[in-house]
Amino acid sequence: MLNHVWIALILIGIFVAAGRDVYDETQNTYRNNVPITASLEVKKNITDLRNSFQGELVLTASSFNQFYNITSAQSEIHQPVIVSQLPSGIMTFEMAISDATPEFWKEMSKSASEKGKLKGTILSLQNNSEPTKTISFVVERISFVKIKAVTKAAIEYADVAVTISLGLIGVMALWLGIMKVAEAAGLLAVLTRVLTPVTKRLFPDVPSDHPAIGAMIMNIAANMLGLNNAATPLGLKAMEELNKINPKAGTATNAMCTFLVINTSGLTLIPATVIAIRAGLGSADPGIIIGTSIFGAACATTAGLISVKLLQRLPRYKKELEGEND
Amino acid sequence: MIEVFRSVINVISVVAIPLFILVFLGWGFAKKVKVYEVFVEGAKDGFTTAVKIIPYLVAMLFAIGIFRASGAMDFVVAVFSPITNLIGMPADVLPLALLRPLSGSGSMGLMTELMKTHGPDSFTGILASTLYGSSETTFYILAVYFGSVGVYKTRHALPAGLIADLFGALGAVLIVRILMGV
Repeated sequence: MLNHVWIALILIGIFVAAGRDVYDETQNTYRNNVPITASLEVKKNITDLRNSFQGELVLTASSFNQFYNITSAQSEIHQPVIVSQLPSGIMTFEMAISDATPEFWKEMSKSASEKGKLKGTILSLQNNSEPTKTISFVVERISFVKIKAVTKAAIEYADVAVTISLGLIGVMALWLGIMKVAEAAGLLAVLTRVLTPVTKRLFPDVPSDHPAIGAMIMNIAANMLGLNNAATPLGLKAMEELNKINPKAGTATNAMCTFLVINTSGLTLIPATVIAIRAGLGSADPGIIIGTSIFGAACATTAGLISVKLLQRLPRYKKELEGEND
Repeated sequence: MIEVFRSVINVISVVAIPLFILVFLGWGFAKKVKVYEVFVEGAKDGFTTAVKIIPYLVAMLFAIGIFRASGAMDFVVAVFSPITNLIGMPADVLPLALLRPLSGSGSMGLMTELMKTHGPDSFTGILASTLYGSSETTFYILAVYFGSVGVYKTRHALPAGLIADLFGALGAVLIVRILMGV
């Protein structure tokens, strides 16, 4: 199933991106080569560059929305720009993307020729002697917005994956070290013995005194307490132990799948991050979601455990575990 | 009642790690384990495990990245929204429910956004935070956990994980509707 989901994510992503770009091109969503009228207030001449000055583009929200056929602009737009005159007489401008920039232009700037900037050409300029001029301008050509975004995301996420993995080294080493001591001291065996009635049902294929059981218990406890830093290393330790009794390398055992579903169901007694965000947003009762989250996660865990136990009986999943190593 | 529960859990969460370290290493020392040597021996695996995960995580995250950047989520939302409307899940919460198994940071941003627009104590706000708080980034966990032991044939782990996510979301909608009386 993972194969299908994985390729679906990629194919759907690329096709949708290409489709939307074709649509944007035919509908001219970004109004390429279509001039728009705005006021230009001259703010300051840049002295050492005789032919350029700082100004501000002023546009009402309604004319901006109408021009791009959107509804997102709410207030009057005041966009700082730097206008320069080329030797040929053509006037161009450049806007640096800032908080004042309307969302739509921010979107457009992501696939513009220069990062964080949007360029354009002034076609006509009236009231030349006044500080506030009326201009008509076109913004640089914007195309392949989604395809460019997809390309960028593919490379960025690959980078993020490495950052995350390498970021694990420290806590991994710490917890693996502590677990090794606990194992050598026989502490994991004590923990395991206490919870044998539960673990025997959940993981019938794992001998009840196996170190994997101890590591899994530690991982589930850490998850419940919301100790994410400790939970992942402990979980990986458990996987390593489970893999020692895996008859077929590279293939997940029933115990691994069960353990994974317990982890992905996310049973946490206190969702600390969420509570902190709620408090930050001025909630009257940030902790109200503790009960509801536990209920939600309990539903997930129950459904997950039932389905993992039922699915493992299906011939197609049974078959994968049989046979020789390949 | 819930206040007491909360403060008890809070205290446990704070002292848990120092307590683990104290008990585990202290017990080991008492049992005459050569604690330092054994610790270092175990810690050695930290690097190799982290490095082993890289290819699996790259494969998973880059596919998710492409999917998210393309804006394909809008179409998936359009397909599923008639169903979720029936069970009383607001249309703007659906993207969060769909994104939650794929991306931890992405869904956290979306949850914050929803609470900002609707208010943290509104039905949407509480449902969004419950959805986020009651589940995990299934695809990430799958890649990291199986990756660390070189398992690429994940068998029924993903379907079972997704069924769990589905029921978690249904449970969240149900309990928040009961809580808010809607």
